[in-house]
Amino acid sequence: MLILSRKPGETVVIDGRIRVKVIRLEGDVVKIGIEAPAEISVHRQEVYDEIQRNNKEALTQPAGPRPELPRLVRKKENKNLSPATSK
Amino acid sequence: MNTVELEAENPFALGSETVIHLPGGLLGFETYKRYSVLSNAAEEPFYWLKVLDEPSLSFLAISPFDVLPDYQPDIAADDVRSLGIECPDDAFLLNIVTLRPRGRSTVNLKGPIVVNRFSLVAKQVVIANASEYSVQHPLPAE
Repeated sequence: MLILSRKPGETVVIDGRIRVKVIRLEGDVVKIGIEAPAEISVHRQEVYDEIQRNNKEALTQPAGPRPELPRLVRKKENKNLSPATSK
Repeated sequence: MNTVELEAENPFALGSETVIHLPGGLLGFETYKRYSVLSNAAEEPFYWLKVLDEPSLSFLAISPFDVLPDYQPDIAADDVRSLGIECPDDAFLLNIVTLRPRGRSTVNLKGPIVVNRFSLVAKQVVIANASEYSVQHPLPAE
């Protein structure tokens, strides 16, 4: 891992198109600003890991019989899903 | 039935099979970029997201407002812009469901798939108010 020292207000440039700026220090919290092109997704690691793990858990392999789906409680009429009202 | 209000059309009508493009893939499945969205009357309000490049794999999803009307995901401006979404009606949300035994299935409310219903380009986003929601929210089963 590359380790650099930066002061608040200073920036690191990655690949000429991603800028990571140290905004300020608040106790043991570092505020970081990130500028990146739209196709680069930026996530907090723990949220990314959580969603990635959940996606892997949710993946189904319909090789066997179709799983029985739960019957859901409808909270309201959803117009988008009702073929009678979609037009 | 509601006939007065003009509703945005559901791009995933019952019985249809619609291909959506996720240029970034799903988190953890970045290489799978094309999904076929299937729905049918018997399995309403669920949708199947079949991985087009790996047809043995699929995800189950729901349109969240159908069963969780209080869900208020805050989609970051950058995500809205990159998907070309100009107003809320342009977006259609699909939230991935994890099937679990004994009525304990859950839905991911932190990371919905946001679909531009016109271009059918989509992205699994992390909502700006993710801390208010769970990736394993219990589905309100009967």
